[in-house]
Amino acid sequence: MALILMHAAEQGLLYGIAALGVFITYRILNFPDLTVDGSFVTGAAIASSLLVTYGLDPAITLVIAFAAGAIAGTVTGLLNTRLGITDLLAGVLSMIMLYSINLRIMGRPNISLLRADTIIRIVQRGFHSLGIVGVLVFVALVTIAIKVLLDLFFKTEIGLVLRATGDNERMVIAQGVNTKTTKVAGLALSNGLVALSGALVAQYSGFADVGMGVGTIVTGLAAVIIGGSLIRSRKVVWMTTSVLVGSLIYRIAVMFALRYGYVIGFQASDLKLVTSLLVIVALVIPAFRARMERKVKPC
Amino acid sequence: MKKLLSVMVVGLIVLSIGTLVAAGDPIKIGICQIVEHPALDAVRQGVIDSLSAAGFSDGVDVIYLVANAQGDMGTALAIAQDFKAQNVDLVVAIATPTAQAAVQVFSDTDTPVIFAAVTDPVAAGLVVDADDPSGNGNVTGTSDRIPVASDIALLKELSPDITRIGIIYNPGEANSVVLTDLAVAAAGDLGLTIIKAVADNSANVPIAAQSLSGRVDAFYVTTDNTVVSAIGSVVAAAEEAKIPFLVADPTSLASGVTLATGFDYYQHGLLTGSVVQQVLAGKKPSEIPVTYQSGGQIVLNLDAAEKIGLVFPQTIIAKADKILLGGIEWEKAETK
Repeated sequence: MALILMHAAEQGLLYGIAALGVFITYRILNFPDLTVDGSFVTGAAIASSLLVTYGLDPAITLVIAFAAGAIAGTVTGLLNTRLGITDLLAGVLSMIMLYSINLRIMGRPNISLLRADTIIRIVQRGFHSLGIVGVLVFVALVTIAIKVLLDLFFKTEIGLVLRATGDNERMVIAQGVNTKTTKVAGLALSNGLVALSGALVAQYSGFADVGMGVGTIVTGLAAVIIGGSLIRSRKVVWMTTSVLVGSLIYRIAVMFALRYGYVIGFQASDLKLVTSLLVIVALVIPAFRARMERKVKPC
Repeated sequence: MKKLLSVMVVGLIVLSIGTLVAAGDPIKIGICQIVEHPALDAVRQGVIDSLSAAGFSDGVDVIYLVANAQGDMGTALAIAQDFKAQNVDLVVAIATPTAQAAVQVFSDTDTPVIFAAVTDPVAAGLVVDADDPSGNGNVTGTSDRIPVASDIALLKELSPDITRIGIIYNPGEANSVVLTDLAVAAAGDLGLTIIKAVADNSANVPIAAQSLSGRVDAFYVTTDNTVVSAIGSVVAAAEEAKIPFLVADPTSLASGVTLATGFDYYQHGLLTGSVVQQVLAGKKPSEIPVTYQSGGQIVLNLDAAEKIGLVFPQTIIAKADKILLGGIEWEKAETK
């Protein structure tokens, strides 16, 4: 029991980095960005090929993966802001383009990291005294560090402009700020984080596969929505916390559905239905709660 | 008769192993597969049937934890971790990504991981050496790599007019990419050319097939899941171009392909089951080399051949295991 919770937590935190990326576009910029299904794989692909083919240091592969994701996000941003392609379509186009690009980067659809010296292996050696929780401690440290950096970023001038762009674009334009640039920057940051998450997940799973990004947007949104319905705050610090909490809950729910689902007659093929229902419940709860509060108040 | 005897002997040995093990606690076997797919489902069933035939009755001697990742790599990993947490005695991982996840998760344990339906276990990083298992640790398994070179040779034998072979495949399927590369090499050796067309999902198979018509003399499709699931559209393109179509999936014969080779995935499951039995009998995975599926069939569709005006050479008919004629399947009669 404790063991599966630990593994679910590891995954929740690693995918939580991608969820933070989705949070930036969906919640902050108000831009439904589908690029992530592609950029997640781009991160995994770049990190794996650099690791296997060029024997690069795994930590450096993470940095390059982030940069590659940022480029992907920039492309989506430029398609939208400079070429006037709608947000949804720009993301879809980038996602499709990335499928071919990811195959080019990898040179084949699947790269095995089972015999490679991944960052997880290095951590297992380095944090040896911690035993089996070593990986969890490392993953938690990395994810929390990224979250804190993100919180600090949103306090800077450009971070504030980014938030304002999503809230009230006209007002920001009226202040003489070019919102096109801030949008592109936001998309770059978001997809950079998603690619970083992909690079970490590949090293954690022991392989990169061209199909591993399918559903990144759904799991990312699930984390944002579940977290948002539990922790309601306008403060960025709490919002990013809620995303990570949401990601943890999502992964733990998947693990529970896999483990105990059979008790309620759950079949393997029902998994996607169950996880989507979880998101629907998370979406409905805040509205339901609001209605209840209104009823209680005296007129 | 000889065959029957050996089957009986093997059966007896296996039964005795079964009774030995049955004395203790039930063995916990975790079976995971990447996605719902007829071939992969057949492998799983084959493993279970092989074990029950050997005397491991479900629920008494063995307990199966069956899981399916629904195509999601994160879930594949979660399943492997769950198996580990439940202290399974043995893992059967069906198809490449599931096997990679299982090998990664169980890398720090002695729990045997038996993979199945993996085309290239060395490229997938599952084992170091397919033939020499001593360095493979707790991992062994079966490979469903089809004999691509003999398929290409069969097409050449079919008609001397065939010089350009069109292959439709999904570049996102690791297995297909390996097989397509093998086909290109094999064709080169025989002085034939391969022209490739890609379909990244089943909806794009028709257009990929049509893009080849007029440019090739035959179609060839390997065990590509994407293309096989849309096989009808390739059949249509082949009929329109009046060229033969070979698919490495004998179950597709009725869909109108000209000829098919390969094996039934249920047989692959039985083969995997026999590896599992060896491990349960006490053999270490590091003592068992990767087993390649053999016993491929050749099945011919004479109805489809007639449509494109093709007459099978006598040499191929002599080799065929099954023939479809007048909508009826004719099995080869056993000859003494």
